[in-house]
Parts: sequence; C-alpha cells; structure tokens
Amino acid sequence: MANRTIPRLLQTPAVVLLLFWMLVPLSMTLFFSFIRYVLNNLRRPEWTSPSIENWRGFGNYQYVWNQDSFWLAIQNSILIVTSILFLTVILGVAIAVLINRSFPGLGIVRVLLISPFFVMPAVNAVLWINMILDPVLGLQGIAVNGINEIIAGLRSAPVVGGFFSLWPEFEPISFRATQTSAYAVIMMVTWQWTPFAVLIFMTSLQSEDQQQKEAATLDGAGRWNQFRFLTLPHLGRPIAIVVMIQAIFHLSLYAEIEIVSRGNGNKNLPYYIGELVNNNIGAASATGIFAVILANIVAIFLLRMVGKTLME
Amino acid sequence: MAIVAQHTKFSKIAWPVLAWVVALIFFFPIAYMVMTSFKTDADAVKPELLFSFTPTLDNYANMTDNYDYWRFATNSLITATFATLFTLVVSVPCAYAMAFNPTRATKDILMWMLSTKMLPAAAVLYPMIFMTKSLGLYDTKFLIVMVLSLINLPIAIWMLFTYFKDIPKDIIEAGQMDGLNTWGEVREILIPLAWGGIASTALLVFIFCWNEAYWTVRLTTTDAATLSKLIEGNRAPEGLFFGRLSAVSTAAVGPIVVLGWFCQKQLVQGLTFGAVK
Repeated sequence: MANRTIPRLLQTPAVVLLLFWMLVPLSMTLFFSFIRYVLNNLRRPEWTSPSIENWRGFGNYQYVWNQDSFWLAIQNSILIVTSILFLTVILGVAIAVLINRSFPGLGIVRVLLISPFFVMPAVNAVLWINMILDPVLGLQGIAVNGINEIIAGLRSAPVVGGFFSLWPEFEPISFRATQTSAYAVIMMVTWQWTPFAVLIFMTSLQSEDQQQKEAATLDGAGRWNQFRFLTLPHLGRPIAIVVMIQAIFHLSLYAEIEIVSRGNGNKNLPYYIGELVNNNIGAASATGIFAVILANIVAIFLLRMVGKTLME
Repeated sequence: MAIVAQHTKFSKIAWPVLAWVVALIFFFPIAYMVMTSFKTDADAVKPELLFSFTPTLDNYANMTDNYDYWRFATNSLITATFATLFTLVVSVPCAYAMAFNPTRATKDILMWMLSTKMLPAAAVLYPMIFMTKSLGLYDTKFLIVMVLSLINLPIAIWMLFTYFKDIPKDIIEAGQMDGLNTWGEVREILIPLAWGGIASTALLVFIFCWNEAYWTVRLTTTDAATLSKLIEGNRAPEGLFFGRLSAVSTAAVGPIVVLGWFCQKQLVQGLTFGAVK
C-alpha cells in the first residue's frame, strides 16, 4: 500500500501544476473564442468585458478563417519552420561529419561552433538585423559597398576593364521588407540552431560502428556510399529528435519576428495572435485554438515518430 | 598506393582547415559583437575602422546610465535562479517516483507532460494577461518565476527521468533492506549517485530561463522586466548606438555562453532525453 501511495504523492505536484497550466488558460481561450470580446469598442461597451451574453458561436472562427492575413501568417509559419528544419539538418549533418575526426584544436572548434546556441534570442535578432544585415550600417551594407568599389576600380583597369564595365552596381538588400524579413528570421534562427544539430549528430557519430566502416572500405565501398548506406541510417534517430525538438521551439517563435518584422506584415501565427490580443480578444482566441489544432497535428505526427525510440 | 597516400595527406590538412573555417564563420557574429562593444558609438559605424580601432571600455562603464543594465540583469538572475530551484523541487521527486516505481501509466504521463510543451504559448496569451492582471500578479517576479518553472518542468522531468533510469534498482532495494525510508533513499542514494544529472538539469533549465523571450516580454513592463525585455526594446535601426548596444548585449549573453561551454555534453543527453548517447 505504502509502496504505491508515496510515488503517487511525489508525482502529484508536477502533475497538478502542469494540468493547471494546460487546462485553465486554455479553457478560458476556448470560452473567449465563442464570444464577442473587443477591448477598445466605444460604440458597444458591453463587448469590452467577457460575458456569456455576448455569445457569438463560431462567428470568430469564421471571421478569422476569412482573413487573408491569417492564412499569410500560417503560410509564413510553415515556411519559416520548414526552412529552418531543412537547413539545420543539412548543415548539421555536413558539419558533424566534417569535425568527426581528430585534428589540432578540435576542442576549440567545438566550443566556437556551439556558442551561438546559447545566445539569447533577443540578442540574436537585434545583432543580426541591425549590425549584420542592415543595408547601410550593417556588415551587409559595408560588404556590398566594398564590392562595388572594387568593381568600380576594375572598370578602369586595362584588359579586364571592358568586362567589368558591363557589371551593374550591387544594391544592398533591405531585410525589413515583408518577404525578406522572413529570410532574415530563417537566417538568424538557422545560425542559432545549427550548432544544436551539430552537437547531437556529432555525439551520435561517435557511437558509429567503426568495424563496419572498415569492412565496407575493404569491400571497396567509396566514401559517398559509406556515408549513404552506413552513416545516414545511423543518424536516422538523431535527425528525428532534432526535427521534433526544433519543431516545438520554432512553431512558437516570437522574439525574432517581433524584433525583425514589427509593422511590415511578415507575421507568423504567434505574432498574429499577439497583434489581435491588443484589441479583438474573440478573434485572437479563435486564432489561438487554430494554433493549438495545428500544433496537435504536428505533435501527433512527431510523437509517433519519436515516441517509441524514447522509451527504450 | 601513391595516390592513396597523397589523398590521405591532402585530407589530413584540408578537412581540419575547413572545420576551422566553418567554426570561425559561426562564431564570427559573436566575435563581431564583442569587438564592437569596445568601440565608441561613432567608430562602430565607420567601415574604415572595422577591424582597426582604439579600444575603449566606456560602453561598459556607462551601461548603467545608458540602459539601466543592472536592474534588468538582477531581475534575470533572480527569476532564473528561483525558477530553476522551484523546477527542481517539483521535478526531482516526480522523476524519482517515475524511474523507480514505474506503473503502466508512467509512459503516458511522460508523453502527456512532453505534449504540454507543444501547446503554443500564444494561444493562452490573453488568458494569462487577464488572470494575472485581475490577481495583481502582472509584472511581478513571482509570476515570472512560476511561468518559467511551468514551461521548463516537462523538460526537467524528462531529463531527470533519463538519468535516474540508469541507476540500478538493486541499490535502492538494498537501501530499503537497510531500513531507509523514501526520504532516506533520496538523501543517501539518489542525490549522491545522480548529482551530475541533477546539476546539468539545473544548468540547462537556468539557461532556458535566462534566454526566455516570450512570457518575459509579454507579461512584464518594468518591475519584473528581464534582459530579454531590455534588448527587445532596441529593435529599430534609427537612434541605435552600435557600440553601447553591443556592450549591453555582450553583458547579457556572456555569462550564459560561458556556462553553456561547460555543459555541452549534458545538453545532448538532456535535450534528446537520453536517446542519443
């Protein structure tokens, strides 16, 4: 009897806290999504506080569903998450294979490579959008100007001058426009999360069966075939885990979007909700429920994929 | 044979060089930030002074005047520390019970806990603002500590569970034979054996708390505002001073990056829930 009671008691605080965290705010969101609830409405003051009297049924859902900006936000969320996943996995595998050998300074290389992962997202975004990507003051602007000057110099050079005079002047790209700011976000998050993928793939590569590889070499298998048929399958599980963890984090990406894209129309789902929360709570809540549904679809898919391997 | 030998010699030099180049590229933005933090604001935007400049410590000396850095840093330190402690107090007993007395429900509870991490924070943003404002908790350190604990609880439990699972059960049974009660087991056996695991869990939770940038930005205004909130305020390029901004950014991430260097190995085991070793 005591054997069962004590373990249960020990689990209770964690379970109760998480249950509260999951159920209370979410059921409020669910309620708000079915009522008219608009904070700054002078003509209909009765809508400015939550009440069952203002029942709207699925009206908020319909309203949100018919907004172009909602679909743009979803599209953008998916674009950002899938691009980051794709880039970090490819770069992660490549870099992990590259540094999976012993050479002078391996320890320092590892430390340098992992560092971006610990930079806080707010600093990451402010650093990239202002100091690196800014078309005038950032490194991008400086680099483009430098290239233009070199080309201008080469135009008057003998022999090759005629060739370079055909070249146009390069224009620095503004990463604060609607579409380019999504690329800026993809870039900075990829920079931050590739180290994480590298770290995990590298750890996994160290447990790869070396004898198998030697046997493959003796059998005349080339480098590429060894990678394709031995290393890549070995990395299957770590890749699944990297994808799962990153999907969890990037679906709720916020600080980077807030800093890079404020006011320029490049929104992801969390940012879109964040905007609605300033006024139209009903619509914000309906969007929130859509976000939960989207996250659940992803979660079911991911947990199926990873769940089994975790419990071994 | 000669070709093979040549090939080996080439790859012995080329691949390490490439590895170094890649590592330096990845580290470059951080290095650039640190370097700029030693320039005056005027020098920081002059291309001709990109790499050659007269270093100055003024940006660090004036951090309090320019940004009120220490107030935000203190808030970050307090909230992250207490959130880490609270997370551990709740998660260690839970993970202990799950690892040593697993039932049929244990797997499902663990999966459910992980699934709470997938709940999009934005979906519950307004209820959180509404509740905390009506309870008078909005913009308090207590609230931030609680929220940070809750969002890190599932990961902490998972990490600790994977560490505890590897401790042989015989040791605990031997302890029970010797007449230890549950608290005795934890104190005499679990904590000494799993000390490394608990410490790295704490370290990782602390890093996540320090870097958190959703709730700390949306649920604070002044009193509980953390470094994320401070940095987040500098988003427009107009009126930005790269020198002082770099200094305050360096001060905000420096301690955590260094802390991270020491726990990279644990990070792998922790974040992959022991599935990658």
